[in-house]
Amino acid sequence: MSEVTRRGFLGRAIGGIAALIGLALAVPLAGYAILPAFKKKERPWSEVGPVDRLEVDAPKTFDVVISMQSGWMKSDSVRSVWAFRNKVGEVVTYSPICPHLGCAYQWDGEARQFRCPCHNSVFALNGQVISGPAPRPLDTLPEKVENGQLYVIFEEFKVGTPKKEVAG
Amino acid sequence: MNRIFRWVSQRLNLPPVLHHLLDEPIPGGASWIYIFGSVTLAVFISQAITGAFLALYYAPTPDHAYDSVQYIQTQVPFGAFVRGMHHWGASLMMIAIGLHMLQVYLYGAYKAPREPMWIVGIFLLVLTLTFGFTGYLLPWDQTAYWATQVGINLVGTVPWIGQPVAQVLRGGTELGAVTLNRFFAIHTLFLPWSIVILIAAHLFILRRVGAAGPWDEVKAKKVSEPFYPRQVFMDAVAIGAVFLGLFLVAFLFPAHLADRANPSDNTFRPVPEWYFLFYYQLLKYSTGRWEVVLTFVLPVAWFGLLFAIPFLGRRGDRAPTRRPVAMALGTVFLLVVFTLLGIAVKQTHSLVLSDPGAVRGRALYTKLSCEGCHRIHGTGAQVGPDLSYEGDKRDRDWLIQHFKDPQKITPGSIMPAYRLDETQLNALTQYMLSLKKK
Repeated sequence: MSEVTRRGFLGRAIGGIAALIGLALAVPLAGYAILPAFKKKERPWSEVGPVDRLEVDAPKTFDVVISMQSGWMKSDSVRSVWAFRNKVGEVVTYSPICPHLGCAYQWDGEARQFRCPCHNSVFALNGQVISGPAPRPLDTLPEKVENGQLYVIFEEFKVGTPKKEVAG
Repeated sequence: MNRIFRWVSQRLNLPPVLHHLLDEPIPGGASWIYIFGSVTLAVFISQAITGAFLALYYAPTPDHAYDSVQYIQTQVPFGAFVRGMHHWGASLMMIAIGLHMLQVYLYGAYKAPREPMWIVGIFLLVLTLTFGFTGYLLPWDQTAYWATQVGINLVGTVPWIGQPVAQVLRGGTELGAVTLNRFFAIHTLFLPWSIVILIAAHLFILRRVGAAGPWDEVKAKKVSEPFYPRQVFMDAVAIGAVFLGLFLVAFLFPAHLADRANPSDNTFRPVPEWYFLFYYQLLKYSTGRWEVVLTFVLPVAWFGLLFAIPFLGRRGDRAPTRRPVAMALGTVFLLVVFTLLGIAVKQTHSLVLSDPGAVRGRALYTKLSCEGCHRIHGTGAQVGPDLSYEGDKRDRDWLIQHFKDPQKITPGSIMPAYRLDETQLNALTQYMLSLKKK
């Protein structure tokens, strides 16, 4: 083992102090810069309206106001959802985005089917794919009824995948 | 690590560079008294780093500045720590510069041939104060807004050029979005470049003329020691200790954030940062035409004197004992500054005791026309109970519940339930609680 000189010792002590200060700064700074990017966004419940406005087996679109927050900035945006009541009386809500490539699909009341005008995907009332390129059924949204009011969480899902996964 | 260093060192032929950087002779040898310059530089680097990180989440517009600072403070992991480091680092920088200047002054180290270093140093002081002033506005809270308002108005009192300069500083006639953007740009773009250039000049001059060393020529010539390793070690220990203190303070005492800036609030009394406090106190003693002496003549004369210092007094005499006038003037200056600072701190302290929440509550009390029914110390109608000593009778919970639903707490009460938000509710309660006999 080589002998530790006074100069060598002081050199190491200086390096040690510098490393300690650097580390004590680097860890919080890295957390500060990186962690917020991975923070899960909490999507709030949006009010759809009185649940008795839903018709049995006749889907309609309802506007919902979504409060979005990007960092410190809060903003409201208006989106729409499909909602109806099935024969059993259960509330069904669909995201208005076609799971194929993200177009807005429509309800064809005569044929009693949902049709996407972009690539001709066709869905049944229960959301199942009847024909076309859509890889999965229509996406249902988390919903709840409180005091006669229907609420949904407006989520966006990855499109083009056979599995329903929340985007982002 | 050593192998990597050796490899780089061989390729870049580093030994002569290192020799030049580290083996600078220090007359009289290394000493703890020389640490302040290095400490100042280290704190500056910390300010530059934490400032850059703050800018990741800061939005320099009146609409979002306050929210973004609040977001940093409460939502971002380590945000309060990073802001605390930057906030307290600014104060620390002032202290470090003050001590550095005191040491240079005491040692007569500004005398020939080091006048250029002193002059550049005074410019660095001016830039640092400007950093402090421009940074103060950025959180866009009440303190920031009103202190800056006063600061710019002070400039406006200077004859002839004052008003146009104040207007340029504000970017218009009113303190607003343009002002905030300007202060942000000055603070984060213009000043950093300027100060880095001047720091480089300061260090360049130091290396060209050499460190001053002790004032005793004989002692200075007897021993000489290279900068590395002992002086660097002392600097490192001092910097380590200072940072340990800064880390602790940043963790334990979060930087203050007052309420959002409200230009229409005329109850707020701003107080500047402590390093401007002595001057703030001095201004309280000025009236009428004397004001311009304090706002213009004195600062100009003061900085003029600072620049002239190296050229005053006898050349070569560096020992404090041989510079009685310089020492006496320096002592008087410190006494005056610290006395003013002491008075200001004492008065400011008593000001802080008058709770800003209660002040807001009183404004709300007036706005809601509460005196239409209630009486406080003889003012107001006597329909409802007299509230002069309400703070002695009720506690916080009772008051809050009462404001939310008066009839629930006091059946038969004719007081209407005002729809107050959380802040208003707290402010009004705070005001009620402050109404005590003593």
